[in-house]
Amino acid sequence: MKMKKTDIGVVAFMYAVCAFFYVYSFDLSEGSKSYPLFTIALLFGLTTLYLVQMILAAKKYGVESGTDSVFAGFLPKQLILSVVLTLAYVFLVDVLGFFTATTLFMIASFVYLKVPVLHSVIALVSMDLLIYLAFVLFLGVRLPAGILI
Amino acid sequence: MLETLQLMGQGFISALSILNLLAMIGGVALGIVIGCLPGLSAAMGVALMLPLTFTMPADTGLIVLGAIYCGAIFGGSISAILIHTPGTPASAATAIEGYQMTLNGQAGKALATACWSSFWGGLLSCISLYFFAPMLAQLALKFMSAEKFWLGIFGLTIIAGVSSKSIVKGLMSGALGLIISTIGLDPIDGTKRFMFGQAFLAEGINTTCALIGLFSMSQVFILAEKEIKKRAKAAKFSDRIALTKEERKKIRPTVIRSWIIGNIIGILPGAGASIACFMGYNSAKQFSKHKEEFGHGAIEGVAGSESANNAVTGGSLIPMLTLGIPGESVTAVLMGGLIIQGLAPGPELFTKHAAMTYTFFAGFVLVQFFMLAIGMLGCRGFAQISRLSDAILIPCVTVLCVIGSYAIHRNMSDVIIMLIFGALGYLMRKFDLNTAAVVLALILGPISEKGLRGALRVSDGDIACLFQSPVSWVLIILSIVGIFSPFLMEKFEKKVTGGEVLDEE
Repeated sequence: MKMKKTDIGVVAFMYAVCAFFYVYSFDLSEGSKSYPLFTIALLFGLTTLYLVQMILAAKKYGVESGTDSVFAGFLPKQLILSVVLTLAYVFLVDVLGFFTATTLFMIASFVYLKVPVLHSVIALVSMDLLIYLAFVLFLGVRLPAGILI
Repeated sequence: MLETLQLMGQGFISALSILNLLAMIGGVALGIVIGCLPGLSAAMGVALMLPLTFTMPADTGLIVLGAIYCGAIFGGSISAILIHTPGTPASAATAIEGYQMTLNGQAGKALATACWSSFWGGLLSCISLYFFAPMLAQLALKFMSAEKFWLGIFGLTIIAGVSSKSIVKGLMSGALGLIISTIGLDPIDGTKRFMFGQAFLAEGINTTCALIGLFSMSQVFILAEKEIKKRAKAAKFSDRIALTKEERKKIRPTVIRSWIIGNIIGILPGAGASIACFMGYNSAKQFSKHKEEFGHGAIEGVAGSESANNAVTGGSLIPMLTLGIPGESVTAVLMGGLIIQGLAPGPELFTKHAAMTYTFFAGFVLVQFFMLAIGMLGCRGFAQISRLSDAILIPCVTVLCVIGSYAIHRNMSDVIIMLIFGALGYLMRKFDLNTAAVVLALILGPISEKGLRGALRVSDGDIACLFQSPVSWVLIILSIVGIFSPFLMEKFEKKVTGGEVLDEE
């Protein structure tokens, strides 16, 4: 199997995690850092093993980009918008209140994803009702009220 | 023996309470809905519903999660039969004969076969649960600190190795999870570790938030990055959802054979329902007196696949409940549910918490009856739900992820953690890393650490203490076998599926 260029990112990420936790382990006492150091060494060793495997694969079979499998059918605009809407939703929960923020988030998502109006209304009402019954009434969760509800 | 029978009887009495019966009905119905929706998985459904079980009694909470699990595994067959799209990978083999039966105008019969076989597969799998679980729990009594450390390592090697395309990548995922599990207060001396000044990290990364993020939120991102396609219309059918006496007699040997196959597969850590369904299907084909019917809508094919995948459910609970080794992602999530209730897998479940455990077992038996009834009566309705567009699912699941993680401690920091794990899970799935291994490491990490440091403390830091008992050596050998098991599993999977790649999640 050919080496995938996309795996370079995986290896870099794992080394970064090791470095990050290793640096922060300096402040820990001897007893307290022994197990974290064991796990860091484990990840470091396995990542290095994977890097060696990648190099051997590159020498033996060559290199491929790997983006075809990772990004097959990828719609960046749709994903980014979903992420932005989710982040805005989480931010607005505290500001506007849970139900208002949820309603706005769902309407915005349905409009962007072109869901028919009737389906949107049914889904919106069902979700608000489900959350109210299950979380507010059944579990007694006090949801963030914000400036609205 | 008499005591066990007494516990079993008491379990059924407790399981028959109104609350538990409602939990079974709700859980099964929800599970079927989740299972029949091709974008959602059993693990994701169980993870999403975890927060709802917080305030329930432990047995009721576990019954709900078990009901969702069983319902989801069966539910996948509805869309497999009616729209030729398996709701979960566990129903991939059902689509082969099930859809052919639909094309032949026998959709009702195919659905009835799926219901009936799933019921028997699930019900019979409970026998092994009752029989083997207490036995294995007795063995776990012998585990001291060093053995607990090796048990954690064994659990990780199994799930990290088997569920990944690359063994090393699977193990890397497990190691990443182990590092993350060290965040929070030191379990031995209470020192702050990797908390970055955030008080909410004192208890470590909340497993439920991580579960919801890794399994549910990441799935939202996966759905959101692809074109929203219109699902095929579910085939309309006019035949009755019922089987004749002759048909039930015809599938009986297949159901029994597939139950045995599914049960063994379930007990084996690492192998799951998606492998079992193909094995059940293949054995049905091999032993059938009507081989010519296969490929053209063989009722035995549907029975073989569905009985096997549901027989996995009871079997897969055995290593999870007794040793704390979840063999696949759904049982890893279920183990999270167990821990949330303040219970630890192991012998205590069969001694101190025996009443709760046997109520759960009895509930698991009764769930199969509800699955049969709800499945038979509600197939037509569930078929319509299976067409629900991803465009509706994306915002709905997002909202459930947010409210689910918020409800844990009623603060937004858990929601942020969930989102971080959602992004991590998405990237991990894109780059063939293993999210189930991270979850398992988060659960097993603290257990392993306590085991390792406890053993070293007793032996004054002498590392040889980890290699002294025969049980430790058995676990070390099993861990080594676990690391290399993907080679065997890959060959095995190719053999039973004909080269089709299966994704347990």
